[in-house]
Amino acid sequence: MSSFPIGDRGPSSMPASQRPPVILIVTALLFGLAALAVPRFGTLGNIENVLRIAAILGIVACGQAIVVILAGIEFSFGASAALASVVIVMALPTTGVVGAFLLGSLLILGVGMVNGLLVARFSVPPVIATLGMLMIASGLAAWLAGGLPIDAPPSDAFSFPARGRVLGIPVPILCAAAAFAVLHLLLAKTRLGRGWYLVGANATAARLAGLSVPRLVFSGYAVAGLFCALGAVILTSRVASGQPMLAPNLPFETIAACAVGGLPLGGGRGNVLQVACGVLIVAMLNNIVVLLNLPTAYQLILLGTLVIGAVLLQRDWAFLGNAVRLLTNGRRG
Amino acid sequence: MNQVIAPRLLVAPAGIIAAGLIFAAIAPGFLSLGNAASIAGQAWVLVLLATGQMFALAARGFDISVGAIAALAGTLAAMAANSFGLAGLIVAPLVGLACGTLNGWLVGRLALQPIVATLGSLVALKGIALLVSDDGQAVPLTEAGQATSLAFDPVLGLPPLAWLALACVLGAQFLLSHATLGKRILMLGANPEAVGLVGADAGALQIRAYQLCGLFAGLAGALMTARAGAGLPTEGAGMELQAIAAAIIGGTALSGGVANAIAVAAGAFFVQVVLTGLNLTGVSPFLAQVTVGLVILGSGLMDTALRSLLTRNRQPKDVSP
Amino acid sequence: MTIEPAIALAMRDIAKRYGATCALRSADLTLQAGRVHALLGENGAGKSTLVKIIVGAVKPDSGSVSLAGKPVAFRSVAEAIAAGIVPIYQHLSLFPELSVLDNLSAFQLAAGRAGLSRKALVPREEARAWLARVGLDLDLDRPVSSLSLGERQLLEIARGVGRNCRILVLDEPTAALNGAEADRLFAVVRDLCAGGTAVLFISHKFDEIERLADEVTVLRDGATVIDAAPIGRHDRATLVKAMLGMQVEHEHRSGSARAEAVLTAAGVRMATGHALDLSVHAGEIVGLAGLVGSGALAIAATMAGAASGQGEIAVGEQRFALGDRREAVRLGVAYVPADRHAEGLFPPVSAIGNASASALSRFSARGLLGKTRERAAIEPLLRRLHLHPARPDAEAASFSGGNQQKLLIARCLALPNLRALVLLEPTRGVDVAARALIHRAVIEMASNGIAVLVASSDLDELTALCDRYLVVRDGMIAEDLPGSASTEAIMAALAGKAAA
Repeated sequence: MSSFPIGDRGPSSMPASQRPPVILIVTALLFGLAALAVPRFGTLGNIENVLRIAAILGIVACGQAIVVILAGIEFSFGASAALASVVIVMALPTTGVVGAFLLGSLLILGVGMVNGLLVARFSVPPVIATLGMLMIASGLAAWLAGGLPIDAPPSDAFSFPARGRVLGIPVPILCAAAAFAVLHLLLAKTRLGRGWYLVGANATAARLAGLSVPRLVFSGYAVAGLFCALGAVILTSRVASGQPMLAPNLPFETIAACAVGGLPLGGGRGNVLQVACGVLIVAMLNNIVVLLNLPTAYQLILLGTLVIGAVLLQRDWAFLGNAVRLLTNGRRG
Repeated sequence: MNQVIAPRLLVAPAGIIAAGLIFAAIAPGFLSLGNAASIAGQAWVLVLLATGQMFALAARGFDISVGAIAALAGTLAAMAANSFGLAGLIVAPLVGLACGTLNGWLVGRLALQPIVATLGSLVALKGIALLVSDDGQAVPLTEAGQATSLAFDPVLGLPPLAWLALACVLGAQFLLSHATLGKRILMLGANPEAVGLVGADAGALQIRAYQLCGLFAGLAGALMTARAGAGLPTEGAGMELQAIAAAIIGGTALSGGVANAIAVAAGAFFVQVVLTGLNLTGVSPFLAQVTVGLVILGSGLMDTALRSLLTRNRQPKDVSP
Repeated sequence: MTIEPAIALAMRDIAKRYGATCALRSADLTLQAGRVHALLGENGAGKSTLVKIIVGAVKPDSGSVSLAGKPVAFRSVAEAIAAGIVPIYQHLSLFPELSVLDNLSAFQLAAGRAGLSRKALVPREEARAWLARVGLDLDLDRPVSSLSLGERQLLEIARGVGRNCRILVLDEPTAALNGAEADRLFAVVRDLCAGGTAVLFISHKFDEIERLADEVTVLRDGATVIDAAPIGRHDRATLVKAMLGMQVEHEHRSGSARAEAVLTAAGVRMATGHALDLSVHAGEIVGLAGLVGSGALAIAATMAGAASGQGEIAVGEQRFALGDRREAVRLGVAYVPADRHAEGLFPPVSAIGNASASALSRFSARGLLGKTRERAAIEPLLRRLHLHPARPDAEAASFSGGNQQKLLIARCLALPNLRALVLLEPTRGVDVAARALIHRAVIEMASNGIAVLVASSDLDELTALCDRYLVVRDGMIAEDLPGSASTEAIMAALAGKAAA
């Protein structure tokens, strides 16, 4: 028995998660290069600006990450955030600020639950289900708002989620930190999170291992909706209006962030650090395009290239990683 | 073969009849000749997009960039037409082919997941369309009258461009049923692992499928430009979804291997009947969009239902679980 | 070797590396025209890489390949097929949505210049002759998805032998065939040999090899250790030793069955429409013996709650509804599915995560997962099964087939209140060493009072394990044989020849 040492903590048996993560190095490198090469990038004001953008993106990306780990994809985030923003502003006079935000959040949770139901119960491919919900939610948002943005009456409470500060730190950044912490807890420390990984890795095997696959998938889309709801509240507060076209690129940006961070869209893999780094990279690149005074069209081109490039690059990283592991393994005999 | 696909092929025609009856009952003037002509006229863009999408789906792929391809192709074609005359519209299918080649190369050679590859090109192509058009400005055709006449004035019952689209659909169906390329694409979709084992180059076939998809999207872009008398760089958003819905309603299996271009065209007509019908009943265009969303969800549910129905019927008695 | 027959294919000193893994070090293989050549080797010995090189799917790093004396270097499968090399794969390579005729014409449709498909289709008369050769009579326009598994395998063989082939590569072709179908296949192979075709026959079944093959080559660790020895020169034990490089010890067991029934189906109706009555007692190992397609696997899956139907299965005093796998796990019914990759493994998840998947309730409190407890409980199980390499945190995908199977067994062992164990083909495609370890674990579980139900098409496996055999024919349990039944008696029962 002792001829098969298991769980020895020798260097080569170190789990992949404990090796220095490549993605962190890439993020730092990009930051360093941008700070050197792009004028005004390294200023404190700009860094806060990047973090603010990254915060909203990051909160929603947490939701996207759950769906991606479940081997799904979520396209309806932007549209449901837009729908929520319209409903929040419309409900404001009757329900008050907190009630309106709550109502908007519940709405997004509802959209997430419908997506979850379609995917989990009725086996509709995630792409089809969430794209359909995108159409429905953005149609409803435009219909409710009459096709035009509706302004919210200015108030401190309403602008708090986007512009407030607690202990000098902007609220969105605090919210993002909390979102990442919750995501980490969910993924690494709970039975629910483990279930998501297993279902994403092999849904049939998960069912036969006794897991309730529909319940896990449903809960994944619902929790993802909650993250998106927090992001939508901050977004709505920031634009101070109900916008039927609030964040059309939000699903693309969050998918890009997950892909850049190294989550395979095939599911079953991924951690918070990867998501956070992916979000920072996307946010920094968007910011660089703005700072260089390039047309915003470049943001789209960059984003598209990034999704493809990141997935391609990561495959090569993975290949390199495997090669190294096999080499060290071989040397041990 | 018939046993497998027959129920799939009946969905779109049945849908057209059902939707037609409903709208005839609630929308005055729905059954008029003029309205039928208007549906027929508007549907062709979607027919072309859906036919292209069909090739991607048949090869067990997926292309969500077709709307963006059509918009970019239509815009570039409008620019070309303004420089070289209407013949410049030929640029659209070429641009489509190029975009399809790119998608196909990413999927077939670099082994990217179709959703990753086409999502990337969707976003990037949108950006390029904005870039070439001065941030989304329409590009009016200098010979707009001539172009719209090609798209609207009937010759032998149909406008010339509609004849062209019809020919493309028939060509697509011919390709599927009578050409080795079509069979190979269906083989790829039916069993992607095996297609290499019998000596075909799976990657090359994927490239072909996406090329066909891009080509049809480019043709749709040319048609869009001719109908509008202008290149519309931001048009086509959402069209990819309608195209996917139309292709599925037209009997294309999301699991690959089953496709029929004529049924897919019927699927596109169904979507158009619903849109036009809603328009006639005076429903807000935004709610019409909601309906399209519901149609997409419905198509997804339909595919699932058909698949479980067919697997139940065809389950060999002695197959192990 | 008295006369030198024509050498159809000669491979010398073939080496192939994948990244840092050495799949082949120095492999030799010589196929002679008109002879059947068996290729033996453990999983991971390099058989599949060698086959891939023969059929042009992979290029060797070094070494020479010559076809009928001429050196060749295939750049693609199409080139190898054009040169007369016809592969028939263990995993079906048919196109379910397409017709029988399209499938028979797949090679012609797939290769060559694009054009009209009519020209590439096999003429209908010829297609019927190909089918008749393997004993099939099918409507050429039927979709393949409507055929049975055995019919599909024969169709695949018909497609291969219909072509003018010089070298036929059969990769475990009988895995999905019943006895009569296998006989039919062997007759076809002999027929081809008589016409001068060289056949490479890969199989794990010694019976078949002894029946069909003329020579045997054994691969171990990417190198040829026995090169083209005539069948009969070495006995089975020698061949196994050559494959393993060591002597395997056979597990012997003494029955541990007790009176108490643990897993019971009474008056259950399965999804196949058949009724099922079956009871497995504590400490008993019951074997479900059935030819492929007999329905033995379906019965086992039903007992584990993995297949739907009407009725309930009793686990001691408690019951779960058919198809309710979740409740079955809660009641302590562990399950190893037949298809490891499709139904068992979580490839990107760690070995520990794979093993603990059914027992998460054991390690969690109020939704939180106790990872230290998980590790403490799982690691000893993996050690007991000699997981190799011993890396509990490595992804499941990085292990060999046999070690992946150990993870599924560990998942069963980890169940907190394990009472019954249902195994489907527990050692299919598993190397001999892992097989022995898995068998030992199963026997240990039984002696601890677990009720075990094993469905396997491998009779050796059943006779090594079982206290009782249930012979399945046509979807139903046809006979109940005691553990003392001879192999011959079981085989007779399988074929339905025994007296009722």
